[in-house]
Amino acid sequence: MAKRVREEEIFPRNPNKTYGLMELVKGSSPRVDRGPEDMVSAWPHLLIREALLFAATFLVILALSVWCVPPLEKQADATKPPNPAKAPWYFLGLQELVSYDAFWGGLGIPGLVIVGLMAIPYLDRHHSGIGRWFARSRTTAVTLFTVLFVIPTIVLIILGTYFRGPNWGFYPPWGMPVEPQ
Amino acid sequence: MSVQTTEPKAGPPDPKPGIGAWGKLSRAIYRQAPEVFDNLRQLPYNLYKSIYRTTAFPKTERERSEAFFNSFLLHIQPAKIEKHALRFNYTFGLGLISFYLFLLLTVSGILLMFFYVPSVEQAYNRMLDLRSSVSYGMILRGMHFWSANCMIGAVFFHMCRVFYTGAYKPPREFNWVIGVLLFVLTLVLGFTGYLLPWDQLAFWAITVGANIAGKADYVSDHLAMIPGVPNMHMGVMMKNALLGGDTVGQEALIRFYVLHVALLPSILFFLIVIHFWRIRKDGGISSPKESPE
Ligand code: HEM
Repeated sequence: MAKRVREEEIFPRNPNKTYGLMELVKGSSPRVDRGPEDMVSAWPHLLIREALLFAATFLVILALSVWCVPPLEKQADATKPPNPAKAPWYFLGLQELVSYDAFWGGLGIPGLVIVGLMAIPYLDRHHSGIGRWFARSRTTAVTLFTVLFVIPTIVLIILGTYFRGPNWGFYPPWGMPVEPQ
Repeated sequence: MSVQTTEPKAGPPDPKPGIGAWGKLSRAIYRQAPEVFDNLRQLPYNLYKSIYRTTAFPKTERERSEAFFNSFLLHIQPAKIEKHALRFNYTFGLGLISFYLFLLLTVSGILLMFFYVPSVEQAYNRMLDLRSSVSYGMILRGMHFWSANCMIGAVFFHMCRVFYTGAYKPPREFNWVIGVLLFVLTLVLGFTGYLLPWDQLAFWAITVGANIAGKADYVSDHLAMIPGVPNMHMGVMMKNALLGGDTVGQEALIRFYVLHVALLPSILFFLIVIHFWRIRKDGGISSPKESPE
């Protein structure tokens, strides 16, 4: 049993200080060995960047909403199914998979992907390459993630969005049959 | 705006001698509560002080730290931050952009709620109203539409950033798990919102999506092959739970509406708060100082 220590033994009370004990943690803190020399105050360095980023985000969205009007088709009609009926663009990768196998494409694989994503940090715990883009010691992890997740996600969505036409047939975007209204 | 940030000195004590009732009153006040006149003079300063717990323009290091931990909105963030964490080409601001888009979605979404009615008869006409009779209606809808679509992209690329910089490694494993939940929730929020305009695009997209949920029958059909296990028709069950019926109709619309404007955004916000809290508890965002190359 570790000896119980009183708060005063770790942080002696000093009337000139305005801080108090916040919490006790086991092990070494992530801040250990990260001295104050590379630190700056959040005011104004962080705050100004956050404000600028918000302004930029807001302006881009405003510009898009002024110049690109969101689509609105005819009123819903359960008797007039379009061909093909497409899911929202972010689910077109799923719809593409569903066209190969209904269960595995729509539920099996997506379910495994979500569980797999959540499992990543519990499987890859090697303490290297943190805080650097594409660290050399992590080429295996980087390659696996890119080939198994990032590229398939993007390619399937592009395929479903631009290359699928009537009856979920494959057409190039420039040869897409136009649905008669 | 110029708010005095130092306490003004007390002025000359005597109020101007007035005549008539006003003069009498001010002399009476001066006799019994002379400080009232000073209070009036110091009103802007005292008002400011009562609202903000620090000065508006901190100059010393100490004041700058206080500006953060004495402010409700800023205390979520650290008063000191590592230079590396500020580099744009480390995070590309993608997490923060996701959060900002969530805020824009909340504001534009609440404004849209003033005009929208989740009924099969009215929903589509309300969308037409936005185009024709609501001031700035199309810009309002556009803000919501574009923020939603961009948020899905931002969250996806934020996830890629976190992976490619190894930022999910201990002690940040659980924040990655929360992140995956945020990613899924963002997609589901988009999906539930997609039905609300009640146009052809909406109706058939949700029909396609709900049919995918129906494919879970595959699991229960296989389970039912085990002797003694009844067929639970999991797919039909899930689809019915989602649509409140066999097809997309009024029941589906009200379900999607409640999920989209109340339940899912609340859960998403709650998870974002935990996400941010964990960033602080995990020692700020990741840094190359934490591990060898
Ligand atoms: C609604 C969605 C999300 C919001 C608003 C959000 C917000 C943020 C913010 C503001 C940061 C600070 C650093 C930065 O801006 O990059 C951050 C860091 C982080 N996020 Fe997210 N995030 C979201 C989704 C995700 C997802 C989908 C994942 C992963 C699956 C994730 C995992 C992480 C991790 C592990 C960190 C710590 C990164 C580090 O220490 O470098 N987040 N998040």
